[in-house]
Amino acid sequence: MTKDNINFILNNELVSVQNIETNTTVLNYLRNDKKLTGTKEGCASGDCGACTAVIGEIKNNKIQYKSINTCITFLYSLNAKHLITVESLEKQNLHPVQNSMIDKDGSQCGFCTPGIIMSMYGMYVNNVKPTNHNIDKFLSGNLCRCTGYLPIKKSIKDMYKYKKNIIETKKIFNQLKKIKKNDILISKNKSKFFIHYKLKSLLKDLNKTSDYYLLTGGTDLSLEVTKKRKNLNNIFYLGSNEELKYIRVKNNNIHIGAATTINEIIPVLEKYYPTFAKMFERYGSEQIRNTASLGGNIGSASPIGDSLPVLMSLNSKIITIGKIKKIIYFDDFFIDYRKTKLAKNELVKEIIIPIYKKNTLKCYKISKRIDDDISSIFMSINARVENNTIKFIKIVSGGMASTPKIAKLTQDYLINKEFTFDKIEKAKKIIKKDFNPLDDVRASKEYRTKISQNLLERFFNEENNIKSSVY
Amino acid sequence: MDKLFTKNIEHESAKKHVTGKAIYTDDIPEPQNLLHAAIGYSNCSKGIIKKIDLTDVINSEGVIDVITEADIKGVNDVGPIFKGDKIFTSKEIEYHGQPIFAVIAKSNILAKKASLKANIIVKELKPIITIKDAIKKKSYVLKPRFLNRGDTKNKLKKSENILSGELYSGGQDHFYLEGQIAMTIPQEDDNFLIYSSTQHPSETQQIVAKVLNQNFNSIHVVVRRIGGGFGGKETQSFLFAAIAAIASKKLNKPVKLRVDRDDDMIMTGKRHDFYFKYTVGFSNKGKINALKVIMASRCGISADLSGAINDRAIYHIDNAYFIPNIEIESYRCKTNTVSNTAFRGFGGPQGMFCIENILENISQKINEDPIKVRKLNFYKKNINNETHYGMKITDNVINDIFNQLIKKSEYHKRKKEIQKFNDKQKVLKKGISITPIKFGISFTTTHLNQAGALVHIYTDGSVHLNHGGIEMGQGLMTKLAQITSHELGLSYEFIKITSTDTEKVPNTSASAASATTDLNGGAIINAIYKLKSNLNNFIYDHYNVKSIIRYENDYVHFDKRKITFKELISKAYLNRVSLSSSGFFKTSKIDINTKTLKGRPFLYFTYGAAVSEVIVDTLTGENKLLQVDIIHDVGNSINKRIDKGQIEGGFIQGLGWLTTEEISWRKDGNILTHSPSTYKIPTAGETPFKLNVEIYKSGFNKEEVVNRSKAVGEPPFMLAISSFTAIKDAVFNANKKKGSANLIAPATPENILKSIY
Repeated sequence: MTKDNINFILNNELVSVQNIETNTTVLNYLRNDKKLTGTKEGCASGDCGACTAVIGEIKNNKIQYKSINTCITFLYSLNAKHLITVESLEKQNLHPVQNSMIDKDGSQCGFCTPGIIMSMYGMYVNNVKPTNHNIDKFLSGNLCRCTGYLPIKKSIKDMYKYKKNIIETKKIFNQLKKIKKNDILISKNKSKFFIHYKLKSLLKDLNKTSDYYLLTGGTDLSLEVTKKRKNLNNIFYLGSNEELKYIRVKNNNIHIGAATTINEIIPVLEKYYPTFAKMFERYGSEQIRNTASLGGNIGSASPIGDSLPVLMSLNSKIITIGKIKKIIYFDDFFIDYRKTKLAKNELVKEIIIPIYKKNTLKCYKISKRIDDDISSIFMSINARVENNTIKFIKIVSGGMASTPKIAKLTQDYLINKEFTFDKIEKAKKIIKKDFNPLDDVRASKEYRTKISQNLLERFFNEENNIKSSVY
Repeated sequence: MDKLFTKNIEHESAKKHVTGKAIYTDDIPEPQNLLHAAIGYSNCSKGIIKKIDLTDVINSEGVIDVITEADIKGVNDVGPIFKGDKIFTSKEIEYHGQPIFAVIAKSNILAKKASLKANIIVKELKPIITIKDAIKKKSYVLKPRFLNRGDTKNKLKKSENILSGELYSGGQDHFYLEGQIAMTIPQEDDNFLIYSSTQHPSETQQIVAKVLNQNFNSIHVVVRRIGGGFGGKETQSFLFAAIAAIASKKLNKPVKLRVDRDDDMIMTGKRHDFYFKYTVGFSNKGKINALKVIMASRCGISADLSGAINDRAIYHIDNAYFIPNIEIESYRCKTNTVSNTAFRGFGGPQGMFCIENILENISQKINEDPIKVRKLNFYKKNINNETHYGMKITDNVINDIFNQLIKKSEYHKRKKEIQKFNDKQKVLKKGISITPIKFGISFTTTHLNQAGALVHIYTDGSVHLNHGGIEMGQGLMTKLAQITSHELGLSYEFIKITSTDTEKVPNTSASAASATTDLNGGAIINAIYKLKSNLNNFIYDHYNVKSIIRYENDYVHFDKRKITFKELISKAYLNRVSLSSSGFFKTSKIDINTKTLKGRPFLYFTYGAAVSEVIVDTLTGENKLLQVDIIHDVGNSINKRIDKGQIEGGFIQGLGWLTTEEISWRKDGNILTHSPSTYKIPTAGETPFKLNVEIYKSGFNKEEVVNRSKAVGEPPFMLAISSFTAIKDAVFNANKKKGSANLIAPATPENILKSIY
């Protein structure tokens, strides 16, 4: 049975929604419909974190919580979830994260503060260790223009020292459990919002619909609504489809369901490709990594999507489904700027990443700011050096063309060559011919070219134990 | 020192901030029938408007009306001092983001959607975008200014060394987290109540009144707090309040205008970017003998506050250094870009950036430790202590701060370690630098240095406080409540801080120039002095005492008796004593000749110094700030927790200006960086955990400022120049031959790399 409304828990209240526009964001719902004005709009594009809230979903028989940007989350994606906003943290007493922020002077103008409190809460409920690394990671999606962050960092360091606030989780858990995961179809003013919990029904509806948008994290798509002010007619939300959310290792391959979020992928990658995992820690912000999916990054096909060059350099494959199932190599997948081989009524189901046990993988991301920034250039190098000879090399760059691009000439030159500084110096000259980048706000053509050359040198340096990164 | 000022009092709204209960303009419960406005603006930088067709806008869903220039009953201008800031244009386009009309609809979303449907045909013309272009075409918003001392031309010739060069410092978007917003509500008699996120309620009142062609007394502006200002809401907020008010008046309905982030970044002015050309003469040891500087800034389309900003750049070109012979030419360039405006430091950072770069370049040229060169050039206590604008410096503590910081930061030891590191490393290079600041406090526009306050004591002894300042996160309300509490000897809890309100305190100055506590604190003290005179006279009469009366710890002490403050107030009321008073304050001693710019523009100076250590990747230009040590002078602090917050926050904001924050313009003038996805202010990762801030222990204001404290809002911003010069040091260490003279700000990885190769 398909339902025509959604049910979720807003703080402590079970709510049912069906009469609100399908393009409504969680932020606008909170502020305009529920008059919960603690959650703020700072940018409406998922960059500043003033709108941060925490959502919970049942997984492995308990509620798992994570922070999200409510400004780019569609209201109807909340079905069967628990949404926690800043208003509900204070019980009999302030929550420890709130007490700690007050004591360390973590707020000045206070506008970013509710969002920061919720990012801290996302860390707190998951009992994340407050190491310097983790603090920066969990704050990466929250901008503060007043404090300079130090007092916020200090308050995170101290937040576990405060007396705990008792929160009734059992009641919430039972309430959430009772919400049936039936497929959802919301219709409002000719616009539709679909949620499918199984692939079969998803494909059936997809086949019947001519113009549609596939939604997981919405980190790209929702800007069509919040910035370009478009109305998205038919939205298919894939983020709750368990048949698209998995990560498995089988026969030397990593299989990743398209709707699996970046933060769900990182722990597995850490084992096989630590540099890839580390790159993903600089992918968007914590809130983005909590919701953005690998499939979304591929489907939107942006030439600056950081995962694409890496996946390409690893000779990964994509499984698409629709009327038929297809397997496409990444090398062949991208046609032009934001254009892929994905046909109408098809979607990415799975990504298969081969595990190269003897290879080195480099993921170089260059941007103006370390966290939450789009690469001016990204380079991934997958190589195998044996007896000081390059036996295998694949070099792929993002930000250098309208699609992720392979440095073919450079590869051809380096293969079977001795791995020496001289050869790298020559390769630096050749790579200039591989790319023809553009000038834009992130970098000039000259800089992009220079960096593509110098990153080859960094590769050589790192393999020869010469310190080469400031991070 | 008074106990109250040493108490650890947190920001008065801290608890409300962390619980989401602090109310900002967009959180105020909306009145019934509220309408929402959105602005339609130009998409090119210069042109003649051929046609404005708003049919599709009007027919868009939920639209009530559109307003244009024709709907303005009064002046079509929101310029603060000078005219030139049109609300709506109808004939020509002068910059990208120039408002043409506003649409009023049932919701914010519908208004914005409708605003995109206008059909506006423009014949585009070639705009002037860059500073160099403007200079070439002599395109200025205000006349150039000159300031000279000594005989620069001759002394340059006679100097042992001469160095010439060009410098550039970039602009900066304020990126207050709360965007521009105003809500106007019609009252009786065509009066309007305005809630605005502004640093300047009085001028909002005056400008809206002029736009509506009404008396000032018909406009009532209320501001409880704003979500960050940094100068971006000193004048830039007027446009939005004015448009909402025009719509409110036309439709007789409440109207809210909340601007989307991208629109905010397109439509509002930023920090002026500056171009400098200098020739400096100096001794073999690096002592500056003469300096000739041409400075030019991008002011955008109108004068706005550009005059005073460029004046302040002139006043801070010396920073903490005595420059015996100096010749300054200052050009205020008019470009077809949004009008640049106030931003923390107000020209001061740009002036200091110039001289600190020059000193660094001199040091590299003669291969001397910059620390020695800087100290050699410092103003001295008894000689060489007059600025180029003729003000004697009598409160100089820079030498003391510098020496303390060198010791505390272990500068010399670290410098040696860095050298060892650099000798070993091929790719990574470190740099370290210490820079001083000396920043002048007072509005350089002398008449603005005044403030008012209003203090009521109710019959239960509780106090209600009003003043002209705006709480924008800087802790103003907290400090002013502390001052009130101190003056009345009454617990802090009894002091009620309320919204800043033009009906309570009139004719106020903007909360700006770091001086808001100094000025409003003075006015509060004056009000309380009057109240206490009333009360004291009453005590003398009623209790027949002649001794001194003290107000302490919620009690009033006289002779050998004490009664509670509450009891005194209750008795005073019954005996018909006035329990309400206004107060006024103006800064003394300041005076400048507006023609020559010479005189005493400032009441006093604040001082500070910072040491930054950075690491740079010479292959990519990527860099990281590793450690910062700061000693900063806030006089005798009123609230150390709040002052520390200003120092740390100011530093990181300055770091953003000089490193990650880069404004990009298309060749035809359209701004490209209008969202946080392309314009990068620092995140937590940019702030080093080793950011050690110490408040100067011997801090004391020689001037009679409340508690002998010093202003703190802007000065720490400029401490971040040390991070830029540390990057210069690293670049120099990577490429000694070339030096780092070519590094421009912001020092993005790209700009760093350019300066190395």
